[in-house]
Amino acid sequence: MGVLRAFSLFFVVLVVTPAQNRPATTPLAATAGGYVGGSVCKTCHPNVTVSFYKNPHYKSVASGKEPPERTGCEGCHGPGKAHVEAQGGKATIPHAFSLMPPAAILDRCLTCHVKEVPRANIRRSSHTLADVVCTNCHSIHKSTTPQFLLAKGQADLCSGCHTDVRAQFSMPFKHRVLEGAMKCTDCHNPHGTAAVTWRMGLRPRMVSQALATEEPCLKCHIDKRGPFVFEHGGVRVEGCETCHSPHGSMNAKLLKRPVVFTVCLECHNGAGTFGRENIGVYTQSSSHNMADPRFQNCTTCHVRIHGSNADATFLR
Amino acid sequence: MNKKTYILVSLIWMPFTAALQAQQPVAPTDAPVGSARGENYGNYNITDSFETGYRWKSVGGDIGKYQSDVNFGNGLRLLGSNLTIDSRDGHGHYFDQLILTTQGLGNDPYQFASFRVQKNQLYRYDLLWRETAYDDPALTIANGQHLMNTSRRMQDHSFVLFPQSNFRFFLGYGRDVQDGPALSTIQLFNSPRADEFPLFENIRRQQDEYRVGAEAIFFGMKLSVLRGWEVFKDDTIDQVNQFQPGNNPTDAVTLSSFQRSQPYHGTTDNWQVHLLTDKSRFYSVTGRFAYAGGSRDFIFNQNAIGADRGDPSRTRQTYIYGSGRRPSLASSLTLSLFLTKKVTVVNNTAFNNTRMDGNNTYTEITDSTQQANTVNFQYLGIRTVINTTDLNFRATDWFTLYSGYQFSTRHIKSIEDGAFPGDPLTGITAEQNNTIHAGEFGLRLRPIKPLTVTVDAEIGRADHPFTPISEKNYHALSGRVQYKWKSVVLSAFSKANYNNNSISITSASSHSRNYGASASWTPAAWFSLDASYNKIHLDTLSGIAYFLSGSLVNSTSVYVSNIHAGNLGARFSVRKRVDLYVGYNHTQDTGDGRSTASVLAQSSAFNGIDPFYLAQTFPLIYQSPLARVSVKLNNKIRWNLGYQFYRYGEQFFAQQNYRAHTGYTSLTWAF
Repeated sequence: MGVLRAFSLFFVVLVVTPAQNRPATTPLAATAGGYVGGSVCKTCHPNVTVSFYKNPHYKSVASGKEPPERTGCEGCHGPGKAHVEAQGGKATIPHAFSLMPPAAILDRCLTCHVKEVPRANIRRSSHTLADVVCTNCHSIHKSTTPQFLLAKGQADLCSGCHTDVRAQFSMPFKHRVLEGAMKCTDCHNPHGTAAVTWRMGLRPRMVSQALATEEPCLKCHIDKRGPFVFEHGGVRVEGCETCHSPHGSMNAKLLKRPVVFTVCLECHNGAGTFGRENIGVYTQSSSHNMADPRFQNCTTCHVRIHGSNADATFLR
Repeated sequence: MNKKTYILVSLIWMPFTAALQAQQPVAPTDAPVGSARGENYGNYNITDSFETGYRWKSVGGDIGKYQSDVNFGNGLRLLGSNLTIDSRDGHGHYFDQLILTTQGLGNDPYQFASFRVQKNQLYRYDLLWRETAYDDPALTIANGQHLMNTSRRMQDHSFVLFPQSNFRFFLGYGRDVQDGPALSTIQLFNSPRADEFPLFENIRRQQDEYRVGAEAIFFGMKLSVLRGWEVFKDDTIDQVNQFQPGNNPTDAVTLSSFQRSQPYHGTTDNWQVHLLTDKSRFYSVTGRFAYAGGSRDFIFNQNAIGADRGDPSRTRQTYIYGSGRRPSLASSLTLSLFLTKKVTVVNNTAFNNTRMDGNNTYTEITDSTQQANTVNFQYLGIRTVINTTDLNFRATDWFTLYSGYQFSTRHIKSIEDGAFPGDPLTGITAEQNNTIHAGEFGLRLRPIKPLTVTVDAEIGRADHPFTPISEKNYHALSGRVQYKWKSVVLSAFSKANYNNNSISITSASSHSRNYGASASWTPAAWFSLDASYNKIHLDTLSGIAYFLSGSLVNSTSVYVSNIHAGNLGARFSVRKRVDLYVGYNHTQDTGDGRSTASVLAQSSAFNGIDPFYLAQTFPLIYQSPLARVSVKLNNKIRWNLGYQFYRYGEQFFAQQNYRAHTGYTSLTWAF
């Protein structure tokens, strides 16, 4: 055993030491294009490489089949010959992400990730348009999460910018994101999504769709999906947000108003050419006397407000 | 809390709200245990941590509301766990990576587990499992008669074969189950001269989803095809087994027995096809086609026995059967053009088409006499064409201009009809077209490396909104500033949205303004501070119409919400052995500033209090301070202790108010 250790020590001294002390003028055994291989990077960056096998990008190294420009350190940072010969310095790294403008970072990552379906709409995503690109959320070498190389836990990461949304998750009625029961990505795709199928389809650009065609609310709220014989037009045409605040609310059932009848009457006023028949959204029945408290709780009678198979006015 | 006390508390509190950030519940503990790099066993590296402890709670006030908002209870828990196993050369025998994460197992209201195992080149399997307790007394909804005490269990399995290959195959399965007791209501017997009765409801819903798909890369393109089947069933039953006087006991309508079963089953088969190209020097293209063909069948059987006006022994049986269908298609094509190194143009064209139709046959037998026998049909079709164009001009590395134009046109067709069996369905048909045009403009500045500034503006015009509160004439302005340098991150934002949807008879206007600031400071390894403050303001004015004793009243509905949300978190570490975290979360809606709920009637018709005036604002406070200490006993064990207080207080109505003391103690350990 001692002989083995002595041999190992000799081997390290023989191989590694000359590499560390290599003068800048020493020619490197670089391949075409100036690629030197990851083992050279390891000499000066052992803190990065020692646990790189945990990194998803290590797959390109493990396969052993990828060309130099698609594997290891140089797969992302570019050929390292100039960097080695200059004995370091960010300016000599062809793709030093901390020095690159956002668009260049996006282009660099999409070199490999462009053909992944969840990123199909990244060019039109609100993040990209706001110059929020890959390295704003992902930390390739200092990730704190076991998956997806996120710089922080997802709730903390998203709320770092979206503080108003996090404030809504701290309201009494909310989806349980801070509690860990849900994640932002249950409803959102931070890499952008296709045009939505509700409202006029313009916004939002970061909301995933259930079964690729429906609001993400229906992923979990399965009883609201339908189809029903009698659909509530406002729900299907304009979406759940017509009545609800999805992140959080000070009002029960995540409603936009604290009292139900105001939610209903703000649309059901009979005025104009609104609604599915172009004659205004129906007013309440004349038999409803709003001075009587029983008529101030609309959903006590109209219980199937998301859609009904039995009654056109959602009574059962 | 009287006014002086409130002002005093506010003055003390305000300095802390200058820059706050949010916090998560006090447990599980986030202090690390064990070696960050893990332990090597053969060809694998293992990191792990498990936190086991006891939670407790003490609630004063409305415990139902506490269960709706917080819901942590008493008992032993596996509060959290993390296990990762990685092969050190990427050539593990059975797997190269295994990740298991859990939270709240044992009986927490929010239980979660995720599991991943994968072998490079060969396979990847992901599991997501959640169980959520849903308790909601909903006192302000339907007189508190829509209570729910259910649980939801969700799981999703995803398997990928050859994940790094040019040919990949997918299999997936998901299940979502919701069950438990609830209350609902029913109106009986003859609307509107009827009464409302609470019902016991046994909720039983289940959705299963199956997926199979494949991806292929060829000629610089990727084609992805996914086929799925969603299978849904709802076998919820409702019943009343004893005499019910109804919500209005002075009338003659009562209920002595009620049963309802309404099995509602169906499937939604779906296709998703994507086509993606490589990014060439000049362009990239992505295409998408999705189709979901939803269908449901149902039978509705309801039997009610009670008393009606003029009929002390009324029986009513209602049979309904029918089906609903909703084929839905969504497609889009995105073309990205890289005209020069500085100019990118992205154009997206989408076409969505959803058609919903359903029919039922309705039979009603009252006191052994058939009262109704009708056939009903409804159709709602929505066809939308959307086109958006975004232009990015990167003038320099620190200055980018953005502009966009969006156009959407929507066609809606509706048919509604009901007839006696055998009679022709003539239908009430209506069609309409809605169009919207919107323009956007933005700036992105990075004058110095730590500082980023973004400014955005959007203005839109719609010709025919679907509802009175939809967007019509709107504009939005937003800006954000962030300074990030070493251990300091400072940011502030402002967003304002204005919408005006006015017509000759009624009008709806909505103004929302959000302001926020946040700060994060980590001056040393032993100390960090996170803080944020947000103001979320909304005021709306909507034209409404309602009836008072048979007379139509045209009026306005005003709603004002002024929410102040602040959060502070500070973390201290003492000699790398003791971690201390203190936090405070405060959310308060100050409403429109009124101090009491009771006001004189705005209209004498309301006999004292105008419900519309009461509905204009709803001030309340929701606050939650917490403290947690974690002591490192040795390299592999920590002892944790935490306390969190919750207070919910409505200013005008106290029936839901509560105060809750919660806490836990636990051991975090690694092997």
